[in-house]
Amino acid sequence: MSLHLTLDGEKHSIEIIRRKPHLVLKVDGRIHEIPEWSAEPVDEMAIRGDAVTIARAMVDDGGRETCFVRLDGRTHEVVLIDPREESAGHDSLRNEIHAPMPGAIVSVHKQPGEQVVRGETVITIESMKLQTALAAPRDGRLLDVLKQAGESFDKDELLARLEPADEA
Amino acid sequence: MSLFRKVLVANRGEIAVRVMRTLRAMEIASVAICHRVEREAVHARFADEAYEIKGETPVAAHLDAEAIIAVARDCGADAIHPGYGFLSENAAFARKVAAAGLTFIGPDADTIALMGDKISARDFAGKHEVPVAPSVQAEGDIAAFVKSASAIGFPLLIKAAAGGGGKGMSIVREPSELAERARIAASEAQRYFGDGRIYAETYVERPRHIEVQVLGDGQGKAIHLFERECSIQRRFQKIIEEAPAAPLPEATRAAICDAAVRLAASARYKNAGTVEFILGADGRFFFLEMNTRLQVEHPVTEMICGIDLVRAQVEIAAGRGLPLAQSEARVRGHAIECRICAEDPDAGFLPATGPIRLLRAPEAEHVRFESALEQGQRVTADFDPMLAKLVAWGKDRAEATDRMIVALKQLTILGLRTNIDYLTRVLETAAFRDGALHTGFIAEHADILAPAAVDERLRDRILIAAALGQRAFRDAITGVSEPHASMGGWRN
Repeated sequence: MSLHLTLDGEKHSIEIIRRKPHLVLKVDGRIHEIPEWSAEPVDEMAIRGDAVTIARAMVDDGGRETCFVRLDGRTHEVVLIDPREESAGHDSLRNEIHAPMPGAIVSVHKQPGEQVVRGETVITIESMKLQTALAAPRDGRLLDVLKQAGESFDKDELLARLEPADEA
Repeated sequence: MSLFRKVLVANRGEIAVRVMRTLRAMEIASVAICHRVEREAVHARFADEAYEIKGETPVAAHLDAEAIIAVARDCGADAIHPGYGFLSENAAFARKVAAAGLTFIGPDADTIALMGDKISARDFAGKHEVPVAPSVQAEGDIAAFVKSASAIGFPLLIKAAAGGGGKGMSIVREPSELAERARIAASEAQRYFGDGRIYAETYVERPRHIEVQVLGDGQGKAIHLFERECSIQRRFQKIIEEAPAAPLPEATRAAICDAAVRLAASARYKNAGTVEFILGADGRFFFLEMNTRLQVEHPVTEMICGIDLVRAQVEIAAGRGLPLAQSEARVRGHAIECRICAEDPDAGFLPATGPIRLLRAPEAEHVRFESALEQGQRVTADFDPMLAKLVAWGKDRAEATDRMIVALKQLTILGLRTNIDYLTRVLETAAFRDGALHTGFIAEHADILAPAAVDERLRDRILIAAALGQRAFRDAITGVSEPHASMGGWRN
């Protein structure tokens, strides 16, 4: 078994090949010798003879671990995938509108039962004084809207759902 | 007239800390105000005294004029410095501060009111030979407004009369869109400012945002401390500012600075202010607005002029007059400021929230990092997404740019999305180097501003660093057993 990670939406895997006398990892099939590393947030690692200085921070967002890695003046986000999460499907995303950030509802433009087309604004939200339109993820009929104008919500909260698409 | 003994800073975050730093250097005691949720915030701990203001939300507490003035009186402060944002341009607040027998470190309430209303400010500017763009105000129904606004010609810019910060603002290119956009702008203006009045004016294509720092003594004497360019904007808000402006013909520069001084002197302006202009590719410039307070980007002016603007504000407020004559003001080198924001530039600059797990500020000569951040704090939606400011000075624009790029690459804020790397990419473009700036820069160069692809070698390094950041993975390597190795399976 190996650790699965995603970077820029692409899946990768890392396997421990050897622990002694020094660490050897296999990244997507490529072998890397890592004679020096530490658990410190700012770490100077030795990878294949190169000194690589990185800074990193792990954020656990409701069971989903994201590692922010800064290398050569650029930050990358790596999601470490929990094997349990991997088995769950992501089809639901196509049927649901989630809050991209915490905020409050400004107005609800579509009512349950109404037909919507992909990209059409369903809800306008406000966060940090900025208004943002949330659009339908696909064509379909609106099943329900779970918040009313003025109500607030947290990041990732479910705001509206489409009726499940017909299996074509 | 002597200086103050104690000054209350009616703000928070980096600007509160920055004002208090100068107060400390002037041996004036500083007083912070804070909401319950920010009792441990940097600005509250940095001050000599800190008092809590009750409020349903943190923002409401910082807008509670009566409560803030009561704190100032009770603690024996002589003056209030409002910073920027919050109550800094609230005429009623300035009036109440004066009525309470305290000094408001800023202009008179009447000047704030005059400049705070975009329509009265424009009228005043026009009357004093400061160029203003042709415009039409909405009076009564939308249909009449559409008709008169269309007569100016497209494209048009719609703005809120009481507005600022891009709220209620919209560019209209198609006559057919005007009615709908006017309606939305009026409704946004009503929501944000409690004042639904809007107006339309000529929209200048490829406009540059040029603003002039002025100081006035309140007696009709005013000077300028040169211009700043703030053309790099997203969502109508500045993210990179510099002083002096990127290449600008000397005659234009002089005309703009003169117009700003004329406006400030005519208004018998007191204290520090900024007159904002829009400059077209044809060299025509129009008055935008006057900000009657210290600006976010004031450090770039301080760096090129060698002046502490907060000190100047305090001295003017204490009745000591202007700190220097126009002939004594000199430009030395070039300075650039980047606004470090919690946002996702690769997703429409949406605000981001999250913890600051790792914070490393750059430390270098001629680099200023202005913040009130701390490792371990959480960035919430309670306040503005601006986290900090990074300012770099160089002997010329190229050196300032190089120094800023190095500083941005050193700056490490991990745990939430920020615009740090995006700012680096902007500074690295040839267009920025060439000074080919305009307020549509970000949209124009969207393609080259996207992050570069990560090659295999870099990718493997990132993935290894991330994997070794995970406790369970490290435990699998070092052989530590339960409970962290419970995900098992690593030891083939």
